[in-house]
This record gives sequence, C-alpha cells and structure tokens, in this order.
Amino acid sequence: MENQLKIARVKVNLTQQQLAEKVGVTRQTISLIEKGKYNPTLKLCLKICYTVNKSLDEIFWVEKESNNDVITKN
Amino acid sequence: MMSLQRINDERLILKNLQNIRVAYAIQTLGIIGVLGYDYITKGMDGMKENPLWIIFIVSTTILAFLSMNISVDYENNKKSPKRGFVISIVVLTLICTSIGFFTALSEGFTVMDGVFIGGIFLICGMVPFLFLFGIRKKRRDEFSDDE
Repeated sequence: MENQLKIARVKVNLTQQQLAEKVGVTRQTISLIEKGKYNPTLKLCLKICYTVNKSLDEIFWVEKESNNDVITKN
Repeated sequence: MMSLQRINDERLILKNLQNIRVAYAIQTLGIIGVLGYDYITKGMDGMKENPLWIIFIVSTTILAFLSMNISVDYENNKKSPKRGFVISIVVLTLICTSIGFFTALSEGFTVMDGVFIGGIFLICGMVPFLFLFGIRKKRRDEFSDDE
C-alpha cells in the first residue's frame, strides 16, 4: 500500500525513531509502513496522523485502481 | 529477552502470535510422533498410559472449543439460538436414552449401568451445545441493534 507518510514525517521534522516513540511502536514498523510493506491497523494510522498533523485522507488514501482506469479513459 | 518485556508494537504482537502458532504446530507434531511410536511399540493401551496422551486430548478439545468462537461468526444468524439449542438437546437426549437402554439390555450390565452411561453421555454431550448456545446468544445480543 503506497502512502504519503514519509513526506508528512519529514515535513514535521521527525525521524522514524522519534515518530515511532511518539506512537508507541518500533522504528522497523514505521519503516515498513513507509515502504508499504506493512498494513497498519486503523488505530495506529490515526495515532500517526495525529502526530504528523495530517488527516487519514492525506496520508493513506489511495485511489481505487478500477476508478483510475475509468478516469483515464474518460 | 524480548518476550519477557511487554510488546506494544501491533506488528510485533502479530508476529509473536505467528511464532507461537509455528511452535504449537511443531509441538503437536512432536506429541503425535511420540504417541505414534508408543502405539506401534506398546499398542493402544500403552499409548494411553503416556501423560502426553492427556495433554494431546485436552489441548485438542480446547482448540475445538475455541474454534467455535470463529465458526459461529460464519453462521447466518437468522435462526434463534434457543431453537437450535432445544433441537440439539432433544436429539442428544434421544441418542443418550437409546445408548443407556441398549447398555442396560447388554449382557453383564445392570439397569444402573445403563442409566449411568446414558447420563454421562448426556452431560458430556451437553457441554459443547451449552457453550455454543452461550456464544450464539452473546453474538445475537451484541449485534442485535443493527438488524
């Protein structure tokens, strides 16, 4: 799952380690989320969003693939 | 040691559970292996003397009971849990009565033996149905407001 976490995190000047400590997980988990290799629970997503002052939409929203196709075709 | 301190990271909690699952599978295979060896070398009775047999039966039973928690969610909850429970109890009572009846008729067994055996089967058979009824009722109470 692609997401905008890395950009949002850099904008608020946090390292992976600092963000991890604030939301109560390990640095490896943050790294995996940024790479899109771990699917976090909604609870963790919200905690991350509160910490980087962004909405869920801004960080985790991805367009539905089939919708993309329709949009490009039109 | 990592497992001694409390894990807060949800990813690691999940990973830990997966590790426990692997360990459980290996342990169960080991137990089956030991029991199988006992069965071949000492026969059925020799195998049952091994304390591992009790552990195996108890853990399998617990797993089966806990699995009911999952299977109940797959059922469609249209039927009333009480109706299902009453039907199962009626069928169980019929089966247990016939078991008790035929035991009492068998050679070497008294009427009391028949009553005892039928009663034991009834009580033991009722436990899973009661458990299932409890979960179904709980589920129904939990989700009743969105129906």
